[in-house]
Amino acid sequence: MDYAVLTELLSASIRIATPLLLVALGGVISESGGTFAVGVEGMMLAGAFGGAVTTLVMKNIAFGLAASCASGALVAAVVALATVKFRADHMVTGLAANILALGLTSFLLRGLFGGKAPVIVLPTLGNISIPWLSKLPLAGPVLFDEPLMTYVAFLLVIPVHLFLRRTQAGLTLRAVGENPAAAFSVGADPDRIRMVAVIVCGAFAGLGGAVLSLQELGTFTDGMTNGRGFLALAAIIVGRWMPIRVMGGCLLIGAASALALNIQGWGLPLSSYVIQMTPYLIALAVLCGIGRKARMPAAIGRPFIRS
Amino acid sequence: MAPTDQPANLTEAAVIRSDHKMSDFWRRLALAGLAILLSLLFGAVAIFVSGKNPVLAYWSLLKGAFGSVDSIAFALNKSTPYILTGVGVALCFRARVINIGGEGQIAVGGIAASWVALNASDLPGFCLIPLAILAGSVAGAAWAAIPAAMRLTRGVHEVLGTLLLNFVGLLMVSEVLHGPMGEVGAGFPQSPLFPEQAWLPALVPGTDLHIGIILAVLAVFACHFAFWRTPFGFRLRLVGSSEAAAAYAGVTFARTVAGVMLLAGALAGVAGAIEVLGVHYRLIQGFSVGFGFNAVAIALLASLNPIAVLPAGLFFGFLEAGALAMQREIGVPSSLVYVIQGLTMVFVLCAIGISWRQQRI
Repeated sequence: MDYAVLTELLSASIRIATPLLLVALGGVISESGGTFAVGVEGMMLAGAFGGAVTTLVMKNIAFGLAASCASGALVAAVVALATVKFRADHMVTGLAANILALGLTSFLLRGLFGGKAPVIVLPTLGNISIPWLSKLPLAGPVLFDEPLMTYVAFLLVIPVHLFLRRTQAGLTLRAVGENPAAAFSVGADPDRIRMVAVIVCGAFAGLGGAVLSLQELGTFTDGMTNGRGFLALAAIIVGRWMPIRVMGGCLLIGAASALALNIQGWGLPLSSYVIQMTPYLIALAVLCGIGRKARMPAAIGRPFIRS
Repeated sequence: MAPTDQPANLTEAAVIRSDHKMSDFWRRLALAGLAILLSLLFGAVAIFVSGKNPVLAYWSLLKGAFGSVDSIAFALNKSTPYILTGVGVALCFRARVINIGGEGQIAVGGIAASWVALNASDLPGFCLIPLAILAGSVAGAAWAAIPAAMRLTRGVHEVLGTLLLNFVGLLMVSEVLHGPMGEVGAGFPQSPLFPEQAWLPALVPGTDLHIGIILAVLAVFACHFAFWRTPFGFRLRLVGSSEAAAAYAGVTFARTVAGVMLLAGALAGVAGAIEVLGVHYRLIQGFSVGFGFNAVAIALLASLNPIAVLPAGLFFGFLEAGALAMQREIGVPSSLVYVIQGLTMVFVLCAIGISWRQQRI
């Protein structure tokens, strides 16, 4: 494999992994606190929508990014309220949030613009070359010549890791995910902590959606996340709820997808549809490979009930 | 309190309560009605935000759903795959198997039925149609068997297994339509038209209403009977209420989970077959989009009671038919249906959660 192809493959892996990583980091926070993050697909879609529409109206991408966080958090607030306050089933509530987000974004895309979906063409976030470092061979173009949100996503891994492992708040969050009754007995409020965790997860996932609409494609279309939120969930399991390993999981799915895209150019007798299946198939294969070794937070999916 | 003492609330709440008490029946009905009412209310707000009059919009929706014989036929045809898939989902949820792979199962069911319809076209209709539907159900069951096997042998949660396979199933439809089964020269990815003897016969002559709805009703009654009156149904209820109790009673968890997944897959596959044989008369790209999630919403609205899937499925079928008319007439986007569906699900889930809590305290 020559140098140019390798560079292209590696940058494509990172490009594909970026939105997954933001969503997955949010999912880790939510699931560490004991709430399944099936709703991230919807939060991500809401974020992509909020970001695109705000940028279109306000002509300012910074407002767009803020709006994407807020939109994701809004969908997450519905999930948080239902799962924590009403003790609704996590999996199915997440699914309901996905349908709700799909419906609302598609409805508002038309409803807010007089009944017809507008053609959205936005300027995308351009690459930022880090001086000197971007001149390095291989690592330069791959790691140090990327758009803004890619740096943000990968740099966020460290603070999220430190938060979960090294801070009081992070440890309390994980305690709530493992044994809410024990956390409660030492003064934590599991319900409040879980709600905050889910809403923070929504903000992360919304930002992940913004990567799609504001950094990669510069537009919004119905259902554009297309299962990326679910791929991020797979990456969380692959990474066993540890941010740095989860990043590895996202890069793995990214690399597999990049390779599949690249294979398309080799003239093999594979149609583009079979190739589009690869990320999903790879995710399933990896999940099967991990099998029962993955240990999820012990109290995940179970409501906390004071006794 | 050890975390294992707490039930995974969704199905447990539904199973613990007896479904045969009359008061319980009215309570559930009121619950479903309230969920629908609240969702429609939120929907009205959404319509208002989009600058349209909600009263006019809902009136046009109602007219679109019930306005004429043709519109009723259209809505009944819409409900058919939802009911078939929904009743399978309800049974799965009862056993605490969160199968949300209806969309993929419908897709491959449609592919298999289409293949039979196109390749066994010299058979007479009374052989060809049952054969095509059978092929659809086998394909749907086989598709559902994959996540079931992943769950049982490798511990992959069926939510992720079924969800990810949905995308693969949808892409398989595109794949066969751009390959072996596609119509050459058509502007849209679709198969050639099926021979006329493969079309589902009309139930009411002169309308589009096909016999699929009969199959759906039969399936609902069969599932109702199977759930309440057979050992299989008892095992489902037992596994759903307590895995430990089920194991103690000698019920194999794996066999029950696999059984209910295959059943739901087969029902979804039949839905896919009916959709291509009765509505489109050909395989078309994306024909199953949204059906699987619809089925989940219906199963929940029916509070996971097989027989109640019938009215719940009809409700969503008529809602969707009406919404399409509303979009044509006054330009309110029909994606409002998804908003209402999502909200209904959230409200029902909250209500199930609360009622369980009340019972416990």
